[in-house]
Amino acid sequence: MPHDHPHPHNKPLSDVELRVKALESILTEKKLIDPDAIDLIVDTYETKIGPRNGARVVAKAWSDPSYKDRLLSDATAAIGELGFSGVQGEDMVVVENTDDVHNIVVCTLCSCYPWPTLGLPPVWYKAAPYRAKVVKDPRGVLEEFGVNLPEETEIRVWDSNAELRYLVLPKRPQGTDGMSEAELAEIVTRDAMIGTDVLAAH
Amino acid sequence: MPTLTPDIVPGLIATGASARLDEDVAPKFSVGDAVEMKNINPVTHTRLPRYVRGKTGIIERDHGVFAFPDTGAHGQGHKAQHVYSVKFSFQELWGEDHAENMYLYIDMFDDYMRPAP
Amino acid sequence: MNGIHDLGGMDGLGPVNPAKHEPCFKEEWERRMFGLFVSCFAGGHYNVDEFRHAIERMDPAHYLETSYYEHWLQSLETLLTEKGVVTQEELDQRKKHIAMEDV
Repeated sequence: MPHDHPHPHNKPLSDVELRVKALESILTEKKLIDPDAIDLIVDTYETKIGPRNGARVVAKAWSDPSYKDRLLSDATAAIGELGFSGVQGEDMVVVENTDDVHNIVVCTLCSCYPWPTLGLPPVWYKAAPYRAKVVKDPRGVLEEFGVNLPEETEIRVWDSNAELRYLVLPKRPQGTDGMSEAELAEIVTRDAMIGTDVLAAH
Repeated sequence: MPTLTPDIVPGLIATGASARLDEDVAPKFSVGDAVEMKNINPVTHTRLPRYVRGKTGIIERDHGVFAFPDTGAHGQGHKAQHVYSVKFSFQELWGEDHAENMYLYIDMFDDYMRPAP
Repeated sequence: MNGIHDLGGMDGLGPVNPAKHEPCFKEEWERRMFGLFVSCFAGGHYNVDEFRHAIERMDPAHYLETSYYEHWLQSLETLLTEKGVVTQEELDQRKKHIAMEDV
C-alpha cells in the first residue's frame, strides 16, 4: 500500500515519522479516517492542483479583456469559470500589477495561500523570514528574488490574515503579442502570481 | 460527521468550506472611512496582528460578512460581521523614514476597528 | 495571543532563501500529515480557527525550529487529545510499538 511507503532500513524512523504513523494508525483503527482517502488527497495536490492552474487564469486574463474585468471584480466566479475552486480558494481576490503598481502577497500569522490556483505553498512562503520581512521591507525581499523595481513603482503588500485568498495578476511581458493563450500560460511563474517575480520580456 | 472516504474527496476539495456567512449584518464602516485598529491583547486567538494595532488606515473594500475567528477558535460561535480590506501607509506602520509610495493591505473585521479620532 | 506566530515586522530572522523548484512534499510523513489534516477537518474534529490557535500555542523556540507540517502534527495531536478523540497514552504506546517493529 502506498501509505506504507518502504524506507531504507539503514536509519530508524525519526520521532516525527513515528508520531505521524502512530496518529494515522490509531485514527484508522477507530475508523475516524480512511487511509485510501489520504492517498487520493495527496495525489490530487501532487498531480492535479498547482501553479499551472493559476497560470491558465493569468493567460486568459491577458488574452480576453472581458475575462480580466470579471476576474478583477469577482475573482472567485471568474476562476471558477476555468474549473478551479474549493479548499483555500473559496473567496478569492485578484490584484493587478501595472506599470505603476506592484503587488506582493503574504500571510504573516500563518501561511494562507490560494491552493486551487497555486497549489500548496513553497517552504520559503511558510517560513518565518519571509512572513516577518515582506510587510516591512518588501524591496529587500524582492532583491533576494533578483527583482529590482524602480523607486517610482508603488508597492502594495497584501497580508491575507482573514479568509480571503489573493492572487497577483502579473504584468504581461513585452514581446508576447503574438503568443496564444496556451503559450502565455507556459511563461507565467508561480512566484509572479505571489508577487515575488517579474516576468522577463520575450 | 462521516469519515472522509475516497468517494467524497473530489467533491470536498472542489467545494471547500467558505467562512462567508449568508447573514444580514449591517456594516459598521464604509469604503473611504478612516479607521483605527483597536489596541487589544487577548491571550486567546485573534487575527489582528500586533503590527497594525493602534494604527490608522482607510477602508478600501467591503468583502461582506464572515465568521469571526476570535470567537470561532473557542467554541463561542460565528459572531457574523463584515470584513474589509484596510489600507495603511508604510509611514504610518513603520515610521516617517519609509517611502511614501508603499502600502500594506490587510483584511480586518468590524470588531477590530473604531472610527479614527 | 501575542505569540511567536505573529511575525509581521520582526527583524533578524535571516534570509528568505527562495528555492526556484521544490517538490510538493519533501518526505513521506509530510504527505500523510497533509492527508490527516484534511481528513480530520472533514470529519468535523476541529475548525480552522482552533487548528491555527493550537499552532500558536506551541513553545516559541520549538515553533521557529520546526517545519510547517510539524506545526500541523503538533496542532492535530493537541486538538485530538484535548477533545478526547485519542489519549496521549495511546499515542505514546503506538509510537513505541511502531518503533519496535521498525528494527
